[in-house]
Amino acid sequence: MNRIFVTGMGVISAIGNSVAENHHALQESICGVRKELDLFPSKYAGVLPFGQVQISTELLQKKFHITEPGVTRTTMLAVHAFNEAITAARLSAVDLHSCDTALVGASTVGGMCLTDELFNDANKKTNGSVYTSSYDCASVCLYLQKRYHMNGIINTINTACSSSANAIMFGAMLLKNGFAKRAIVGGTDSLAKFTINGFNALHILSPDICTPFDEGRKGLNLGEGAAFLILEKEEDINGKNVYAELSGYCNTNDSYHPSSLSEQGDGPFLSMQGALQAANLLPDQIDFINAHGTGTENNDAVESRAMIRLFGKPPAFASTKGNIGHTLGAAGAIEAVYSIFNLMHQEVYPNLHFINPIASIGLSPVKLFKKMNVKHVMSNSFGFGGNCSSLVFSKV
Amino acid sequence: MTAMLYIHQTHCIQPQQNPLQANIELINEPVDNKLLAFEPSYEQIPPGILRRMSKAIRMGVGAALPLISQPVPVNGIIIGTANAGMDDCVKFLNQIVQYEEGQLTPGSFVQSTGNVIAGQLGLISKNKGYNITHMHLGLAFENALIDAIMQLNTNPSNSYLVGGVDDLSLFNYNIEKLSGDYKEEAISNKDLYNVDSPGCIAGEGAAMFIVNTIKEYAVAKIMAIHTLHSTDVEFVKQQLKIFLQNNVQEGTEIDLFLSGENGDNRTTAYYTACETLLNYNATIVRYKHMIGDYATASAIGLWYACKILQTQQIPAQMIKHNLTKTVHRNILMYNNFEGLQHSFILVSAI
Repeated sequence: MNRIFVTGMGVISAIGNSVAENHHALQESICGVRKELDLFPSKYAGVLPFGQVQISTELLQKKFHITEPGVTRTTMLAVHAFNEAITAARLSAVDLHSCDTALVGASTVGGMCLTDELFNDANKKTNGSVYTSSYDCASVCLYLQKRYHMNGIINTINTACSSSANAIMFGAMLLKNGFAKRAIVGGTDSLAKFTINGFNALHILSPDICTPFDEGRKGLNLGEGAAFLILEKEEDINGKNVYAELSGYCNTNDSYHPSSLSEQGDGPFLSMQGALQAANLLPDQIDFINAHGTGTENNDAVESRAMIRLFGKPPAFASTKGNIGHTLGAAGAIEAVYSIFNLMHQEVYPNLHFINPIASIGLSPVKLFKKMNVKHVMSNSFGFGGNCSSLVFSKV
Repeated sequence: MTAMLYIHQTHCIQPQQNPLQANIELINEPVDNKLLAFEPSYEQIPPGILRRMSKAIRMGVGAALPLISQPVPVNGIIIGTANAGMDDCVKFLNQIVQYEEGQLTPGSFVQSTGNVIAGQLGLISKNKGYNITHMHLGLAFENALIDAIMQLNTNPSNSYLVGGVDDLSLFNYNIEKLSGDYKEEAISNKDLYNVDSPGCIAGEGAAMFIVNTIKEYAVAKIMAIHTLHSTDVEFVKQQLKIFLQNNVQEGTEIDLFLSGENGDNRTTAYYTACETLLNYNATIVRYKHMIGDYATASAIGLWYACKILQTQQIPAQMIKHNLTKTVHRNILMYNNFEGLQHSFILVSAI
């Protein structure tokens, strides 16, 4: 049968530093996106809204006794979520050292959160900072591997904004194919001058707090955070607490444009359809969709059309980007945790800041917190390079 | 033992115009300790697109297109790269600093993401299937291979493009140089394995493979793969011993060791330790003097393994140790990246 279960999870985002805090904030419709940025000097600090994690880099460093030089905020956020996840799943040091424990991380920013240091090192303006080995996205998992003495398969995936959804998929595949007995999977990204200026140059950063799926949406807000999940096979559960089943997943490519989705959303349509097929479910069995819903003109319209194409009348759906912003490489994993909340607590959280449906489409996301029966949840993640991934989580 | 996957077509772009050159006097020499790729004219890439591509994208797309422009499309694209978008990344970074976060052009930003090669390939070849980029530094290509193995296990009738690509841009050269990865003194290919100093020669390249589960007409098969992180020579040796016990059947033996030795005296001990586990008559072959070293160099290593199995010929200048063996059917590849990331790959003839 090879069923894959989630046996632990950890999350840190703009609305909370733990699973419990994030859950509470979602229930209370808390928006963590604010015109606040004090992590590094930037022209956009105080001007554009961001979903900043409410814990300083110095405090993170202290909390986890990180004394090595060159560890970035991106990595520290990962340590925070990783630590919570392994504690929840009660993984021992022996479990972590085991050749059967895999680690699959994802990041798009990696050490590039240190924009100015990278500028100096890449242009040889100094004799080398302590960060020369920290810039690429593998630096996060390499640090986790060393910190927790891990001996199994270690991987880092980067498919832009769908990265950590693919990390979750890859971890599940490792279990199903006998390459590992348990997999710690997730993603992390921190706010960076690099991504802020990049999305700004593309004119898709909203000057106001983002309004996913709203007719008047003006773009996305960048956020930061990390989430990790522990995946184990059904036969290895041994009475452990099970949060949910990862019942389906699919990765496709939209094959249309490097930074925007095709009008009819072939990539999103195919990834949602593939995930349903993998889960062996019919469209009407999906109770809720945690949409990618970034708040950009392009994404929300295309995702809506793809949902209509597949579902006819789409199930209840909402984007949590209005709570935490777009956390890029961490988004798939953070939203997987939120999707599991839907299943665990039998409730759905509203799509914040939504007022009017997109006129040409007419779809409205969930507007108010409500209790409802949720058996199967789909979570979407789409990224640059046409990378589209959908995951399905089911109640156990 | 059953094969994990079969390799059908291969293509590479690397510093040697003639990768199978037997005469060491005729191979391209490094310039300032850099071995830069000998690039083709990329006729399959539309000129307008080609102009905007960084070298990593160009090499990756250029090495893959001849393989995926076949009548039967592949079902997915699986790329391993450590630095894909690095060049554009720093270009954009320089814009940010130069224009003080003003109005910037997004071109370099869009091309700076690590998944840009797989994304471009999906776009150019209109491939809507599985599309992924593994970026785990010195094991990026190995993780791509593991991915392909798992995809084929799940979908045995499919075929995939799998490959490894990295370029040597000025920026990543500067960063790696500051981390102490490259030799201080200028060195020629001939002397690479004879000098006792830290660091390697910088290199770059792209190698691509079409893989599926069909034995017929295949050029080679992957029998097993194992990766690990360790700085302990004895542990690595122990792991290789277990790998060989688990994967080399009674009555067969490893007859060729394709070594990732790169002239860095900080990693020599690992290669020496692994060599002690082989039969004395196993042939030992090296390739990093021709392509330099970089995170996904083992992809070119696999390309060489395929060529050796296919042609049963080994360019003389690649041989470190050879007694009488003329037929090579089972190749063990060992690669070590920066003394931390290790891979063992068992490649066999059909």
